[in-house]
Amino acid sequence: MATSTYLSNPVVTVNAVDLSDQCSGATVNQTFAQLSNTAFGDTAMKYVAGLQENSITLDLYWSTASTETYATLKSLVGTSTNVTIKQTSAAVSATNPLGTLTGGFLAELPVVYTVGELATCSVTFNGGTFAYTEA
Amino acid sequence: MALRIISARLGELGAIYEPHEGVNVQALIAGGFLEETHTAPAKSAKNKTKAPDAANTTQE
Repeated sequence: MATSTYLSNPVVTVNAVDLSDQCSGATVNQTFAQLSNTAFGDTAMKYVAGLQENSITLDLYWSTASTETYATLKSLVGTSTNVTIKQTSAAVSATNPLGTLTGGFLAELPVVYTVGELATCSVTFNGGTFAYTEA
Repeated sequence: MALRIISARLGELGAIYEPHEGVNVQALIAGGFLEETHTAPAKSAKNKTKAPDAANTTQE
């Protein structure tokens, strides 16, 4: 069975800013509401797609240095923006698709400070449209 | 008014930035990634050409 292990080189951008070197994890959820159109005579449930409900969650180190995590996110809380992610830094292709969340809303900016550890923040961009492009 | 990239996280330093749809430009300016500029991007050097006979004209 083919599997892929991503050790170091996915590329993540938030509002067009490359935050790959601040990101340690990402979760992409591409979801459609499933609307039942099951009717009399059917012998099983049937569904059609409803509205998309997409999200991208990024685990970031909380760097307040110039043009890093804080500078990127501080003005985005309460607004919508674009987030992209691709598996490797190679050119976009069928085997290295670029996922783009357009119009994801950032509702909160939770920062975690722990003694003896690097500060982190886990941000989730909710809503918007999501699509993969291969070229 | 053009937008110039001042952080390599956004693109080539000094290049003029063309925002894509959905990008929050004000957040990029506030974060120190872009600056507004009134100057046009540098053009490549070109040799000025003169009229073919300008240097050889003699006055009588």
